[in-house]
Amino acid sequence: MQQGSFCYVAGTPVIEAQGLTKFYTLGKETVRALDRVDFTATQGDFAVINGPSGSGKTTLLNMFALIDRPSEGEVLFEEKPTSRLTEGELALLRREKIGLVFQTFNLIPVLSVAENVEYPLLLTKTPRAERRERVAARLDEVGLSGFERRRPDELSGGQRQRVAVARALVTEPRAVLADEPTANLDSGTGKQIMELLQGLNRDHCVTFLVVTHDPSVVGYAQRVLTIRDGRIQGEEKRGAPGPA
Amino acid sequence: MTIKIATRNVFRNTRRTLISLLVIGVGLTILSFVLGFVGEAILAAKRSLAMELGAFQIGDPRVLDGKASGLEGLIPPEIAERALALVRGLPGVAGATTQVRFAGLVGDERGSTLLLARGIVPEDCMTDYACMIVAGRGLGTTDAREIVLGERLGARLGVAPGDRVNVATGTVAGTLNAATVTVVGLIQYGEAQVEERLGLVPLGFAQRLLRTNGVERVLVWLDDLDRSSPYAAELNRAFSTERLPLAVRTWDELTPFFASLQTFWSAFSGFTTLAVFVLVFFSVLEVLTISFLERTREVGTVRALGASRGRVFAGFVTEGLVIGIVGGLAGAVAGAAVSLVFNSLGLTFVPPGGNMPQPIRVAVGASTLAIPFLVALGATVLSSLYPAGKNARLTVVEALRSV
Ligand SMILES: Nc1ncnc2c1ncn2[C@@H]1O[C@H](COP(=O)(O)OP(=O)(O)OP(=O)(O)O)[C@@H](O)[C@H]1O
Ligand SMILES: [Mg+2]
Repeated sequence: MQQGSFCYVAGTPVIEAQGLTKFYTLGKETVRALDRVDFTATQGDFAVINGPSGSGKTTLLNMFALIDRPSEGEVLFEEKPTSRLTEGELALLRREKIGLVFQTFNLIPVLSVAENVEYPLLLTKTPRAERRERVAARLDEVGLSGFERRRPDELSGGQRQRVAVARALVTEPRAVLADEPTANLDSGTGKQIMELLQGLNRDHCVTFLVVTHDPSVVGYAQRVLTIRDGRIQGEEKRGAPGPA
Repeated sequence: MTIKIATRNVFRNTRRTLISLLVIGVGLTILSFVLGFVGEAILAAKRSLAMELGAFQIGDPRVLDGKASGLEGLIPPEIAERALALVRGLPGVAGATTQVRFAGLVGDERGSTLLLARGIVPEDCMTDYACMIVAGRGLGTTDAREIVLGERLGARLGVAPGDRVNVATGTVAGTLNAATVTVVGLIQYGEAQVEERLGLVPLGFAQRLLRTNGVERVLVWLDDLDRSSPYAAELNRAFSTERLPLAVRTWDELTPFFASLQTFWSAFSGFTTLAVFVLVFFSVLEVLTISFLERTREVGTVRALGASRGRVFAGFVTEGLVIGIVGGLAGAVAGAAVSLVFNSLGLTFVPPGGNMPQPIRVAVGASTLAIPFLVALGATVLSSLYPAGKNARLTVVEALRSV
């Protein structure tokens, strides 16, 4: 695992959006969910995309997560365009290089905490011994050592989201994308999750992109982008991130 | 891991899974019972027929093939003796006897009715039908002036064991002859129409009445019924080298309806198998469709994490497989248990097509267990394909948006 001190590739683009546009057609009406979005997230970035409900945050994040395709424009992952990639190639990028954290945690209910964290490693066919080691390390990092055998429904919301964070990081991805990770948590727990993400960002030199409409999350970011009606309205850079 | 996740998913909604397993279990119990019963019914019919007719019969070919009446093709006693001697010397022969059949009238002063009589050698159940006696006793010596009547014939005549009746028939020479005989017993015979006319008399008495010393046919029983055909072929050869005017017909040649009976039973088994397959298919389809659609968001999650459509599809089909295996095993065990309990009741019946009562048994064996198991497996896997495909076809975003 790359440690903060070895974050020598900082500044290398990881995810880029070029003229990203997305239309949704509802009957005769066309909704423009994203309108020519340009954006670059570099190695080690901690960026928050902030905007009101319906502004296109989830739509944008889904493009970055390579689970949705733009109507126009291009998403580049590690400087390579993705629009021509097959579904299989996109899935490969997702499982090897992207970690996802969802608003509703999205753990697999029939799997234990450890098995949930292990799941992405099964997709990448990681050997058993290495899987164990990595799962233990990630669970330790999110403060859930000792909870390995619990089922998701035996955890609090905050604990579930920690499991989800451990799962997102277990494959050592280049980017972790989180859609409203604190929206289903109380403010105290949300704060803890954001602090966790911030610490992990420093330790792992992984790019974090967090989408939110929660102003309290904004304070953790180095970069804050505001989106409104599918357009990036502006960006604020912050030197020393910390809670608002 | 796929199997582990599938198994856990199967048992996630216990109530629903139990319903599936119950449907499969009941379906398979019925199926394995029917398959086991049909297999045994065919065997029982075969045993019943072979018990009454013998594994094969020797006689005038025209008589055996029903092209001439018994009296037209009687076997002279010395030839019958030679045939009997030849047969009794063969290994695996369980017994042999001679019979003569004739038609006549039976009754008393109150009225008479048609009689289809068999002159038999009282010896054991195989030869003298003693095990089918329902009232009175079987025939005594081979010369006695006694008759055993079909139960229905006795009822029609209003006679019971101990009563006397008159029997009249034409002799071999074409003259009439009659005698008074004592009814000693009544028998139940599988075919009602035959039972209404059936009378058994001792062979010696029948020969006196017909004024002959010949017999119509020689019945031969074997230890192993399946060896009927080779024995028949061998005897046919021996008869032609010895220039005896005799032919051999095996039990199944004598009962051409047995083949159609067997076809009917096989069709019945096939239909039941199909019906259970369809039942399992549709009930499991319904359960799996609901269960899979509930988990669309989980599909979105694993696809977002990078799982392929194929993996998602395989996961759901594996669930079908798990239900099929568990249900199939449970159903096979339940079917075997019901069959064994049924067998332990020790019931008897006259199998369709036969006349001699047989124990009703339900076979429990590889085919009555394996076929239902495969039906369950096939039907559940097949029923998982459509809902599995439906989930696997969704885009990641669609799947994630579903609640
Ligand atoms: N599948 C879809 N079909 C039609 N319209 C859609 C679809 N997905 C999103 N939209 C529309 O696109 C716009 C942006 O939606 P999006 O979900 O990206 O907003 P959001 O910023 O994530 O909102 P929220 O904060 O409520 O999650 C909205 O107007 C929404 O109605
Ligand atoms: Mg959203």
